[in-house]
Amino acid sequence: MSAEMSIEEKVKSIVLKIVRKPDIDFAATTTFKDLNADSLDIVQMLVALEDAYDIEIDDQELQEVTNMGGFIDYIKRKVAEKG
Amino acid sequence: MKIAVDAMGGDYAPEEVVKGVVIAAKEYDVGIILVGPQARVAEELAKYDCSGVAIEIVDTDEYLVEGEHPAYALRQKRKASILVATKLVKEGKADAVVGAGPTGGVVGSALQVLGTVEGISRPVVGGAFLGFAPKTVMMDLGGNVDCRPDQLLDFAIVGTVYAQKMLNIQNPTVALLSVGAEEGKGNEIVKASYSLLQKSGLNFIGNVEGYDIPTGRANVVICDGFVGNILVKFCESLGETICRWFEDKVKEKLPESDVKEIVDGLLLATNLVSASGGGPLWAVDGVACVAHGRSRFNEIAGVIGQAKLAVKLDLVGSLKAELVAARSKLNMPLSES
Repeated sequence: MSAEMSIEEKVKSIVLKIVRKPDIDFAATTTFKDLNADSLDIVQMLVALEDAYDIEIDDQELQEVTNMGGFIDYIKRKVAEKG
Repeated sequence: MKIAVDAMGGDYAPEEVVKGVVIAAKEYDVGIILVGPQARVAEELAKYDCSGVAIEIVDTDEYLVEGEHPAYALRQKRKASILVATKLVKEGKADAVVGAGPTGGVVGSALQVLGTVEGISRPVVGGAFLGFAPKTVMMDLGGNVDCRPDQLLDFAIVGTVYAQKMLNIQNPTVALLSVGAEEGKGNEIVKASYSLLQKSGLNFIGNVEGYDIPTGRANVVICDGFVGNILVKFCESLGETICRWFEDKVKEKLPESDVKEIVDGLLLATNLVSASGGGPLWAVDGVACVAHGRSRFNEIAGVIGQAKLAVKLDLVGSLKAELVAARSKLNMPLSES
């Protein structure tokens, strides 16, 4: 499994655990709304991912993220920037 | 024992919070860590005789204010007083945290920093709120304004544990708050929750309506925090309004002491939450207590007392054990939740 896949799987795992749907998968076009994620869910996801990768997620930058594909790409970019 | 208190929480912070803290430190013999702007908090503390009590200040300039979106405000204000206070519990520097609001900020901090006990996704605010029905517990009273059916099931389990542990009711009856008693009455969330609760193995008796709450028809009444918060505030205001009306009507017909006794009794019967000042956030993996936003010093002190009791009784440990037992009975292992 590549490092990128590993990030994708980790993000999926964290997101699905928080929205309590561990048994489903989601597509790149799936939105937070599709997952019934509310603001507290999203904040929990961000904190969990910051802890998992020791990164800082900029909430302003996240405004441009429209779906889960974009979210996963964003996390990959932050992890890459960290080196 | 040390309790971390958000000095800037609530409508009357920091004045009433600091005053309540000084009283609680003396009355409950607990150490207090006040979290807030050092100079402002110290100025308030200087007004009181603090000899013989252990009160320290942890400095932070950031705090939440009413009107902000609590979840996002906590992301922007990484050193918000409630967040810093909650982290003291996580770091083992305090045994419990107390905050008087915004309620969403206390809930969000608890969720971010302490997390929830395994198997429950969200902290729950609840308890007996009507003196007329002291054996009826409402969950949720404002912690979660938008809820999924599985969360309402969580509330039912927590409420069942609450009624068993705190009210000594062996097999509490559980009901969903709806707009009709029949199955099929209610919004989509209530209808979906009904079938989930039916299969849960809890002592589910179906739907109850608003007028069933004061009569104590069920021991545990489940609703989302949006409805619960409106309900509890409505009852508080109704009680106060009736008392004002009553005082006006009888002030020249009954002795003042009799009027006061009746009014005090009616206020307690309609407003247990104010009498207790608040209580623990259930399902948090640590002791976090939320005080009413309108709390004055005596309510703040009362909630600090409750925090001490929650630590002393190991309510979190008891809840974890009961949840495992309850889920096991329901054939719903925690790992599947």
